[in-house]
Amino acid sequence: MSEHSSSTSRFAKMMIVAKDEWRYWLRSKLAISVLAIGLILTLSSVVVTAINTMELSHTRHALQEDAEQTFADQPDRHPHRMVHYGHYAFRTPSPLSVLDPGVDAYTGNSIFLEGHRQNSAMFADQKQGTALTQLGSLTPAFIVQTLAPLLLILIGYSSVSREREAQTLTYLLSQGTSGFTLIAGKGLALMSVIGLILVPVAISALFSLHEGESITAIVGFVLGYALYLTVWALLVLLCSSALSKNSESFTALALTWIFFCVVMPRVASSTAITTVPAAGKLETDFAVAAEMRKLGDGHNANDPAFAQIKASLLEKYNVDSIDQLPVNYRGVIAMTSEAKLTQVLNEFAEKRMQTELAQTNVSRDFGWLSPMVAIRSLSMLTAGTSIETHHKFLREAEALRFDFVQGLNKAHVEQLSYQDDMNRNKDTDSGQKARVNAQNWQVLDDFSFAVDTPSLRLQRGAPAFLQLLAWIAALIIVIRLVGKRLV
Amino acid sequence: MSYMFKQLSREWRFMLRQKYLLVLLGCAILISGFSVQSGLNEVAQQQQTIERLKAADVADRTDTQNKQDEIGMLAYYTFHLTYSAPSDLAFAALGERDIYPWKHRIKMLAIEGQIYESDTQNAELTQAGKIDFLFVISALSPLIVILLFHDLFANERSSGRHDLLVTTAKSPWALWGARGAIRFISLFLCLMLPFYVGAWVSGTSLVAVGLVSLCCFMYLAFWAILSVYWGKNANSGPKVASGLIGIWVLFAFITPILGDLAINKFVHSPKGGDIMLTQREAVNDAWDLPKEATMDAFTATYPEWKDHVAMQSMFEWKWYYAFQQVGDQIAAPISQEYRAASQKKYELAGYASLLSPPLLLQRVLTRLAETDAVAAHKYEQQVRAFHKTLRLYYYPFLFAQGEFDKGNLANLPSFDKFINKQHGVRDTDSAQATNK
Repeated sequence: MSEHSSSTSRFAKMMIVAKDEWRYWLRSKLAISVLAIGLILTLSSVVVTAINTMELSHTRHALQEDAEQTFADQPDRHPHRMVHYGHYAFRTPSPLSVLDPGVDAYTGNSIFLEGHRQNSAMFADQKQGTALTQLGSLTPAFIVQTLAPLLLILIGYSSVSREREAQTLTYLLSQGTSGFTLIAGKGLALMSVIGLILVPVAISALFSLHEGESITAIVGFVLGYALYLTVWALLVLLCSSALSKNSESFTALALTWIFFCVVMPRVASSTAITTVPAAGKLETDFAVAAEMRKLGDGHNANDPAFAQIKASLLEKYNVDSIDQLPVNYRGVIAMTSEAKLTQVLNEFAEKRMQTELAQTNVSRDFGWLSPMVAIRSLSMLTAGTSIETHHKFLREAEALRFDFVQGLNKAHVEQLSYQDDMNRNKDTDSGQKARVNAQNWQVLDDFSFAVDTPSLRLQRGAPAFLQLLAWIAALIIVIRLVGKRLV
Repeated sequence: MSYMFKQLSREWRFMLRQKYLLVLLGCAILISGFSVQSGLNEVAQQQQTIERLKAADVADRTDTQNKQDEIGMLAYYTFHLTYSAPSDLAFAALGERDIYPWKHRIKMLAIEGQIYESDTQNAELTQAGKIDFLFVISALSPLIVILLFHDLFANERSSGRHDLLVTTAKSPWALWGARGAIRFISLFLCLMLPFYVGAWVSGTSLVAVGLVSLCCFMYLAFWAILSVYWGKNANSGPKVASGLIGIWVLFAFITPILGDLAINKFVHSPKGGDIMLTQREAVNDAWDLPKEATMDAFTATYPEWKDHVAMQSMFEWKWYYAFQQVGDQIAAPISQEYRAASQKKYELAGYASLLSPPLLLQRVLTRLAETDAVAAHKYEQQVRAFHKTLRLYYYPFLFAQGEFDKGNLANLPSFDKFINKQHGVRDTDSAQATNK
């Protein structure tokens, strides 16, 4: 009974401390303006990014449909012409990219798909940008990850040290408030500020339900940010109670912020790039070309590399020459060499993606050294705007490419006779004859890019969650120690 | 003179006894050192990549030339490496070389279909940004300056020594001037020393080193003066620093972001995808168009081949390469508009950066290091010009009929020779200019 009442009164005391802290903030010009600026920035970033993302999503959906329509509307042609005519795949943004656009502006968002080649994604938005947003951009992710901690520092650096400088601390402690209760009360006040910052973020996240985002991902996303800002609230409390002067607490916190939010993310990516060097696409292209020379040129059915296919075809259909085959030999060669080529290309592409992933993981490990790096990965991973999502897009675009090219090659094999094909350049009439019906252009599957399932995204984010929880646990232990020795 | 030296040496000894200042200066030299080191690494990697690519390019081309005999096939299968090597100052300002491509492989096909290929690095790391010397100076050093200078007065006031110091000092300059100067010089040297080492390693010209030093000096002085001024009457260090950090946030984040929003609203750029689409439709339509339509459009640009456009067969290489060129011609207006838009944006961003010292410094130094959008644009122009040289090399063989003698391949343009010639022309130009 007595324990119960003591815990109630303890909570009541914490509430009193927290309310008092709010009263102090409302009376301080600095705190009020910092709070107001913080809220305005968060709100405007949420609104601006939401509008931008919705526009992007809308345009890319429209472009995708347009590309499919244009392809299907092409007239009767030689099927190989359509292989080179090609098609486009567009990466529509994930619903949660309204809060964290992640890599979207840094990778191209459309790929030109054609036969015999894997093109890279082109026209990244950054290239047509102003280069003004190198240090930060108006996205909720940037504002909450980088500027919100600064806000917590500016209003909280003096929360305990102020009492000490004004000599009210001894008084408070001698009145029966334990050191820990005092710190917890100040913490409660900071947590309410965190709640305020997260309200617009959470509301905007809930809107993405409408776009088909799952509630688990949304909860994971917002929870990640809550944990992250909690780490900062704890850091603020720790410095403020462990250091004896306001100015010391402020300087320590400012240095911590510079180190965690400004220096570490860049140190992480620079380290990742130098420790895991990745060959660029151009270098891989040379390796692919060397590999390909062994496979033969699919445009040239007489390439000696195809002798074996020829022999087995003749044997299969029991005929003496390729003219007598019931299928178009040129088409068969095109189809087989496309399959082999794609296999080689995919091998190299997969290797490249694995290297990129290894690089990214090196930089993500810096989350143990900086909570900012942890939330950065967590945010992109749960929002589905990380490098993994881009890789998924590349793989799906490649599958789409292979399917439509082979669909066209199938028409080449089955619907166009070898003689007509060989005579295609003779004169206008034979040129007309060497065509297949436009009906065949329906080979395209509807392409609509979607991010990974929420459970997979959260699973990927698990290490980052652990990093944040480890930070919180470590800080609480230290604060408890400091709280006992508070004088 | 000795009087001034006495003041300075007193303040120097005073600083050595303040652990907190030493920690700050130590951080400054460490971070600056790390940034220079990783910048040097990055540039070395870029140079090695170019060397490897050059070797692979030669091997690949020789192989193709051995395998193909017909001129059309040779042109179709022969790739040419183009690249833009990092300058000797690039290690300090890596700039936008991770966003804009600095290497391409191009061939005789329509250039608009090849020039937008980008071979960039890991997007997630690019998004985080890299730590280079320029970042340390433009974004980080103001914060260090603020921490060093904001409590010059407030610290003494709050420890109650202020009035005593002021009354015993011979002049305010002897006290605050010496103290400020010692702090400033120490910080400046801590930040710049790694840069000087890096410049020495990569053989940067003295002029460039001097210019960078001057820019950095003015930039740091701006922040130091601002910090001292802001805190001259204050009692509370943290309040001064809060205000200064607020100004830093305003300069580093808020004004650039607002500028970016405004510029993107103001400048309309065609979508890059539309260039590709236009070019693709033009090239593909050509297969079904009467041959004369293509040839007429081609000879409008290259009238010298007017008498050589007659075709013997339904397919001839000269027609194939003519419609590639016509595809480029059709896409040219929108492509130019696209480039003009990005130049316009760069220009306007210049005005916006006048309101943001960190961005202004970045702009000036990336220009010096040739790692900005202008340099990327210049490289793109070089690639386009080289592509033209390539076409002009092939056209006589394609149009003037006759057997192609592979001995002629010795005169095949190469990008290396091409840029050397460009530099040569510029050098003689400037030599003539100085002679005049």
